[in-house]
Amino acid sequence: MSKALALLLCTGACVAHASQALKASDTAHLRYLSASGSLLLEEGQTSGTLPGRMRARVNVGATFTGNFVTYTRYGTIVGHGSATPHGSGTYESFSGTLIVTGGSGRYAHAHGKAGLYGTFNRDNYAFVVQTTGTLLY
Amino acid sequence: MRGRFLTCLLAAMLLSLGLPVLASAAPTATLSAAFTPEQLGKRTTLHFGFAFSAEPGQVPPPLTQIELRYPNNLGIGISGLGLATCAPATLSELGPKGCPTNSIMGRGEAYTGIVLGVTPIRENAPIWIVRAPNQEGHISVLFYSEGSTPVDTHIEFPGILLPANSPFGGVVSIGIPLVPTLPGAPYISVIHLHATLGPIGVTYYEHVGGVTLAYTPKGILLPSSCPHGGFPFAATFSFLDGSEAKASTAITCPDPRKKKRR
Repeated sequence: MSKALALLLCTGACVAHASQALKASDTAHLRYLSASGSLLLEEGQTSGTLPGRMRARVNVGATFTGNFVTYTRYGTIVGHGSATPHGSGTYESFSGTLIVTGGSGRYAHAHGKAGLYGTFNRDNYAFVVQTTGTLLY
Repeated sequence: MRGRFLTCLLAAMLLSLGLPVLASAAPTATLSAAFTPEQLGKRTTLHFGFAFSAEPGQVPPPLTQIELRYPNNLGIGISGLGLATCAPATLSELGPKGCPTNSIMGRGEAYTGIVLGVTPIRENAPIWIVRAPNQEGHISVLFYSEGSTPVDTHIEFPGILLPANSPFGGVVSIGIPLVPTLPGAPYISVIHLHATLGPIGVTYYEHVGGVTLAYTPKGILLPSSCPHGGFPFAATFSFLDGSEAKASTAITCPDPRKKKRR
């Protein structure tokens, strides 16, 4: 590989990464794996624009906060989120914001912001999480 | 009933004598907390309590507000407590017995008092903690207390769960209503209170295949590791006279050697 070609590639890949925008709307059904205090470890399938599997650590406190990794066919997407619980009773609804901070593979440069909605089952600790937003990668 | 009548009569007589009504200013507060059982990674019941100092023969000023901070990573939200809610109107009208059983989250007792003339009158009043519908998007509980002497009344007041900065996981903001006693007499003062939040003494019911089964809620899940310095609690108390008192405590970490011996 010539120095000129290497420079050209580096200019394209390293400096000016061309981003794509993807309007994504997904639903994850997470089931409880383990807990320590208010911290839950959850895992489950995601369906929608970016189907795959999601693993999340969620702190169920006065607000719900947590981070996640989504494993898709073309790489992983990682980020964190925060939501306010609204409901009461066995099913507690919540709404908030999800932030994508990175990933791997096709989504190595992923970033974005999405609406975060869903329900938390206080009996079996299962989450249904819906996200809608734009993913840049 | 007879005792209550005599107390009220005595109170009225003292008032008619025009004796001064005493209440101490700037009380100091102590806060206590404990887990039963205290085992990391296991379910537990939280015991908490507070007490106020007062000059001999006096009572603290009437309490108006409590901000109680509890430790981070305490699994209250996954305790299985408060699966049902009780509307404030239901609680006010019917008491805790009118609320869904699965809304009861804890119980306790308050020791209250007033000073009429120079005579301190004190009583124990039971307390219930029930899950209430959310208020302005915040998780809400209701406290219910009923007393018989010197005032035959009941009060209910809300506690709202709000986020708190580390090392706390949240703060319960509790507004305490003023409880009048007799005309011209002071409001009731809280001298000390203790309560539990958890499955001890609580029975829930669920319907399974057309059968109603009783069960004990799981309880608050403790983390598998203990925070440095223990599980911290802190409280700020506001009083009718404008004074404030602060108190803090920590539940010490269980001795890991004890666990190994078991």
